[in-house]
Amino acid sequence: MKPILIVLVCLTLAACSTVRPDPEIFVVAEQAIQAAVAAGGDEFAPVEMRFAREKLEVAKKGMEKEKYQVSMYLVEESEINAELAIEKSRTAKTRRRVNELRKSNEELDASLRATFGGEFK
Amino acid sequence: MNRTLTKITLIMLLTLLSACVAAPKKDLALDRVRGELDDLKSNPELAGYAPLAVGEAERALRKAEMASGDDLYRSYLVYMADRRIQIARTMAEREQNEQTLDKLEREHSEMLIQASQLEADQARRDAEQARLLVATTTEDAQRAEQEKEQALLNEAESARAAILSAEEADQARRLAESRASEAEYARLEADLASQQVSTLTRQLENLQLRETESGVVVTLGDVLFASGQAQLVEGGRSSLEEVVDLLQTEPNKKIRVEGHTDSRGEAAANLLLSEQRAKAVLEALVSLGVAADRISSLGMGEDFPIDTNESEDGRARNRRVDVILLDN
Repeated sequence: MKPILIVLVCLTLAACSTVRPDPEIFVVAEQAIQAAVAAGGDEFAPVEMRFAREKLEVAKKGMEKEKYQVSMYLVEESEINAELAIEKSRTAKTRRRVNELRKSNEELDASLRATFGGEFK
Repeated sequence: MNRTLTKITLIMLLTLLSACVAAPKKDLALDRVRGELDDLKSNPELAGYAPLAVGEAERALRKAEMASGDDLYRSYLVYMADRRIQIARTMAEREQNEQTLDKLEREHSEMLIQASQLEADQARRDAEQARLLVATTTEDAQRAEQEKEQALLNEAESARAAILSAEEADQARRLAESRASEAEYARLEADLASQQVSTLTRQLENLQLRETESGVVVTLGDVLFASGQAQLVEGGRSSLEEVVDLLQTEPNKKIRVEGHTDSRGEAAANLLLSEQRAKAVLEALVSLGVAADRISSLGMGEDFPIDTNESEDGRARNRRVDVILLDN
């Protein structure tokens, strides 16, 4: 829900680019990065994690220089990178389980074949 | 004029530049992102997965394509569309992996089920083998038992053969003796014959008598013994008195008591029983006055029936003790 709200807010704000954005959007973006870290993002999606952090830093600097419009876009881009990092981490974990189970099945197959010989199909 | 011309030239140049540089650049970025989405949708392994995320990516891309406004805004939208496509792709990959995971888990349990079935089969075979082993052992035991019986039988057989050969020798000796005193013998025979005729005439009424090659056979029916027993029944002894009278009419003849059974039951057991019964009759005869040195007993088992073993009457006739007055 939150990203959608932010998108709406930003789109509204984008029309009037000179308005200073709600500082709450930085808190939300930071929370997204934390969620990505918790999901294993640093391990499974380091590139996206770096994008998320860098874009958030640049957005904060943009605020200091009153480049509000760019900052709001960058916050969005930071968040979507955190979201992608979460999805990539989950997918990587699933892939890892697939590989583990495939290996385990191959071992089981080999051991059963050794035990029962040709009877095992 | 000059200034106007310069102005027009400048505008044209700017328009050209903007057409050449700005617009195609934007299209290239968008084209690339559109290509990514098309690739995801047409990927045979991923097509159909994560439909909601793909739809969201599609909307983000369309928004970028339709956007008018500053470059910053449009490149932001293109970037967002690109990330949405990445998200959709990674979710599609995950869904596909989850399906593979399901399949692998199914295979895993199928293997375990098959393994347990095979194990059960193996156990069944082992049990069968064990049963066979037990059966074989039992068979061995039975065979040993049979061999023992056979040995017993052979022993009895050779004992009988020994007795028979002794009797043959005896007979030969007696023949020689009788030839030596032929005259005496002839006279004795005449005496005995006349005695025999009268005695036998008397006894024939009560006793079963048969003439055989060995001599006169007195058959004692199966009334002397209870079933399976080797002891004379009460009153059996007294019924033997008539037999003793008959035997004493031929004091010089050897007597052989033969036990016979029907064919029911084990041959070895029957042989033993017939032996014991013959012996019991012998002892009874001796106690009734028959000289112990002229009488012998022998178990013949079931091998010498005088009637069929297929009927009860026949079997009753086969269960007997023969007392044979042996011809010299």
